[in-house]
Amino acid sequence: MTQEFKPNLVGYLCNWCSYAGADLAGATKLEIKPTLSVVRVMCSSRVNSNLVLTALAWGADGVLIAGCHPGDCHYEQGNYYARRRFALLKKILESLDLEADRIQLSWISAAEGKRYADIVNDFAEKISRRGPSPLRNHSKI
Amino acid sequence: MSARIGVYVCECGPNIPDRIDIDRVLEEISPLKDVAVAKRYRLLCSNDGKKYLADEIRSEKLTHLVVAACSPRDHEKTFMKVCLEAGLNPFLFQMVNIREQCAWIFSEKSEATRMAVKYIRAGISRVTLHEPLLQKEIKATPDVLVVGGGIAGVETALSLAGQKRRVYLVERSDALGGTAARLGRLLPHQGTDMRLIQEKIEHAENNENISVFKGCEVEDIRGFLGNFEVSLKRSGGEPPPEMFRVGAVVVATGFALWDAFDPDVTGYGKIDDVVTSLEFEAMSASGKILKKNGSPPRSVALIHCVGRKEKGYCSKVCCLYSLKFAHQLKDSQPAPDVFEFYSDLCLPEKTDQDVFEEAKKRGVRFLRADDIRVEGRNGKIRIAYRDGSAEEAVEVEMAVLAPAMVPAPDSDRLARMLNIPLDETGFFKEAHSMLDPVSAPISGIYIAGCASGPKSIPESVVQAQAASGKILSVLMLGKTLEPEVKVSTIKEELCTGCQTCLNVCFYGAISFDAFRGVSVVNEAICRGCGSCVGSCPSGAISSKQFTYQQLFKEVMEALR
Amino acid sequence: MKNESVLILGAGVAGMEASLLLAAAGRKVHLVEKEPMIGGQLIKFEEVYPHMECSTCMVAPQQQAVLQNGNIEIHYLSALEKLEGSAGAFKASVKKKARYVSLANCIGCGACYDPCPVSLENEFEEGLAAARKAIAVPCAGALPNVPAIDPRHCLFLNGKDTQCRACKDACVFDAVQFEDKDETAVLDVGAVVVATGFGLLDVKQNPQYGYGEGKNVYTALEFERLFASNGPTGGNLTLRNGQTPKTVGIVHCVGRSELGYCSGVCCMYSVKFSRFLKHKLPDVRIREFHTDLCVPGKAYQKFFEKTRSEGVEFVRAETVKIASKESRLQVLYQNGGRGEEVFEADMVILSPAMIPAAGAKELAEVLGIKLDAKGFFAGRPGSLSPVETPVEGIFVIGCAEGPKDIPESVAQAAAAVGKILSLIPHEAN
Repeated sequence: MTQEFKPNLVGYLCNWCSYAGADLAGATKLEIKPTLSVVRVMCSSRVNSNLVLTALAWGADGVLIAGCHPGDCHYEQGNYYARRRFALLKKILESLDLEADRIQLSWISAAEGKRYADIVNDFAEKISRRGPSPLRNHSKI
Repeated sequence: MSARIGVYVCECGPNIPDRIDIDRVLEEISPLKDVAVAKRYRLLCSNDGKKYLADEIRSEKLTHLVVAACSPRDHEKTFMKVCLEAGLNPFLFQMVNIREQCAWIFSEKSEATRMAVKYIRAGISRVTLHEPLLQKEIKATPDVLVVGGGIAGVETALSLAGQKRRVYLVERSDALGGTAARLGRLLPHQGTDMRLIQEKIEHAENNENISVFKGCEVEDIRGFLGNFEVSLKRSGGEPPPEMFRVGAVVVATGFALWDAFDPDVTGYGKIDDVVTSLEFEAMSASGKILKKNGSPPRSVALIHCVGRKEKGYCSKVCCLYSLKFAHQLKDSQPAPDVFEFYSDLCLPEKTDQDVFEEAKKRGVRFLRADDIRVEGRNGKIRIAYRDGSAEEAVEVEMAVLAPAMVPAPDSDRLARMLNIPLDETGFFKEAHSMLDPVSAPISGIYIAGCASGPKSIPESVVQAQAASGKILSVLMLGKTLEPEVKVSTIKEELCTGCQTCLNVCFYGAISFDAFRGVSVVNEAICRGCGSCVGSCPSGAISSKQFTYQQLFKEVMEALR
Repeated sequence: MKNESVLILGAGVAGMEASLLLAAAGRKVHLVEKEPMIGGQLIKFEEVYPHMECSTCMVAPQQQAVLQNGNIEIHYLSALEKLEGSAGAFKASVKKKARYVSLANCIGCGACYDPCPVSLENEFEEGLAAARKAIAVPCAGALPNVPAIDPRHCLFLNGKDTQCRACKDACVFDAVQFEDKDETAVLDVGAVVVATGFGLLDVKQNPQYGYGEGKNVYTALEFERLFASNGPTGGNLTLRNGQTPKTVGIVHCVGRSELGYCSGVCCMYSVKFSRFLKHKLPDVRIREFHTDLCVPGKAYQKFFEKTRSEGVEFVRAETVKIASKESRLQVLYQNGGRGEEVFEADMVILSPAMIPAAGAKELAEVLGIKLDAKGFFAGRPGSLSPVETPVEGIFVIGCAEGPKDIPESVAQAAAAVGKILSLIPHEAN
């Protein structure tokens, strides 16, 4: 069944590094599996549990948050907040036994087109093996 | 009036139709609610394309525009300009990236088409929630406050002062010039002549557009870029001179020399004729480099890196000024023996090494030394040190310590008053250590000279001119400020006053209104990162153009 | 009336900063760049010290801002040929080489690259990468993302194949314009800013460093590209035969004693290289060969200490020589009192001195300023203001003035702007 399963993923990308990295992946014509829908935000620190959990509640099989590498934030320290917030959310999901591996935080710079492609493809692969989100059929949309 | 959304899919030549079935896309989105027009065009960013789009906006009476094309990083600004020209608020527009992040990465046409439809649907459903944002204009005063009247402060004031721009130069001591004015001489490539410094000071004192306040400190500063209110206090406790408004603040408070060294190791304060570099400069300025007993020293030890280990950084300029001392000593008759005790010679500027080579030629002895101890012995000074594994010692008549440069006293008080951070060394932190070395993180506040870390005189002068350059390109006479449009806003009825947002804002753009018990965003300096939005536990903060509802719409379409 | 426009030579990090600030102040800027793209040397680096910040992320927004600013006119493939007049009223003749690709029409799809039958060494990748074509952008992610045709190698333009239209046929945007001609623009400006950057000492000139064809001796810039994820190996730190190095020697101060100055930044970037290596190859053994370690300022020593604490060896070495021994390399050096020592390595990285940019001498003649004894542009003697030259209205910033790091270059750029805006205030002021 997992053979046929195509995950539906949401990726929150920061405008300055990761979104630019995703553009570079395109400009260098790297192949990416059509599983992840990109939502652009100005900074990874904008992404909080509300945005992540809503996506999961609506049936996303996985949520990727990508920002500038630590120390590279266009707004100096936004990605550190993102990192802390993510760690906390992950713990909460773990403690509730809610498949915490369906969320992932990655650092992707504007120069890392290849890394972006690899991360998205690997994430898709990982979630494919994991199977569909149990919330898929309960989703409101 | 109901919404009329125009959706335009750019072909980008063959780039998009090669991978995406545009007709299929148009078929799927045409029937969507509020979509008035859905069309394709060969190349929207071309001049013809822009004209076409502008005509469409007008003739179709569009209320919102969605362009599906390349990355917004390429042409979002282009199309926002088209909107503006066609009379549509440019924020009622959404760009959808179906080239870089769709056509160019998905190999199967049907899949790429499916994803393009998703992205465009997301763009359509978010754009109806867009607000017609307006570029605000903020009046600003061109005048500037410079805190600190050392060489950096004086240079800043001289660069900025003009017929219609007043500079308030506030100096805590009773003289301008700071450390630079207390030196005995300058380095050869700096022109040697101390009159250079004196002239600058005189120019600042005599400039009718510079108000010099000596013996004064800043009592309070409130406000933001373009509009700060400043009050001063006189160090003696007399009534404050006046209150005034400025558009920008330059912190040029300089440095101090580290003085917490161990007298048992350095001999300072215990052994006669062990002096600090600034004490040596004072002797040099008076023209008398003499021992306490009034006779000239026949041998002098120059000890580098005092406090480097303790402070954990290299102060950058001590090697060079110790070389200057060596030359100066060698200039006197009879020339004393000079020993330089150093760890690593730091000579990073292009002419520095020449000064070193010249000193070597003049017989200055260079000793790489660890664990230096200065001891008194029979009225002489004994410098004991380790060279590799060998214990060595040299006897001299005078020892000059080159202590680490440390933050000026009271830096933390000023930092708190201005709401700007210090870094882990205690110096002022730059807005961006690489690309913005003379700005503080808060708009309108600049840092010049040694306030942000050890620097040479020319470097401090450069920073002063740089701060002036930044200010002159922001606070233009007769011009208003145009702040970021996509800023954060706080719903007061939801704000619990927890002030988490104050802590996460790197730009100091949020303050707490204690009377109403809510946080308030200063739209003049918010940069729109959304950090506060993400941190607000009660969901009271929203960022314009990236509201929860708008982002949720995108997520919803992604998962449909 | 003084002319308020400004001519800026060089679109590296200093030239871009000066352009953006002047443009923000409403000044017209003519930005003259010898390459077909902007960004300078910095875009070759994956990360910069001391915070290991991604330089593309740092600079790309600057580049975009320059490209999208209506007050900045960029003259690509251009050089200043003649300068007449004086402060406030210069007349500058700028020679522009033909690009043969229309900036207005090209959308950067790259469809023209593949059909081109010519194959050339890739200069941006320091010759480490696969060949590039006669029509190409210098690197992936180049801004603007518009190629240029190299007329020396294009078969049509150099006359070797008058029938070849491969790129023109492949372009559906009519962007390829063989009829482009070199031209000279005459610009009226009030001030000139020299921001032409630096070069690196050519290590081939000195056999003691063992640099040569096929050997695993790399220059600093080559190693930057080797580490870069958008570079020739996709960021894999491999030897020329594809194997992973187990021992690496990094040689500081290459050329320092001959040239007579310290370049100020090599110690720090050499330490950065160790970070790069340790990050990707945790088991690699690294030895750095330095003279005096130069880690000035408040943030740099910690960077060095952290690297040393991770097991990187630092040795004070004099008269360093690199020799080949079978497939490996030997670093022979004098270790102070301990005499000659030998370190065997799979890879050696040379950190060569920064030298004046190619063409500095010719440019100085055009500008009517003397270079200093080291060949860099010099500030006005005795002014304490290194960005002002002896000629009023001409300023020099960044590494054109001498070796320096990024923040110092950026500060000098803003300083020149400060001088220009206060010396030539807007008429309305």
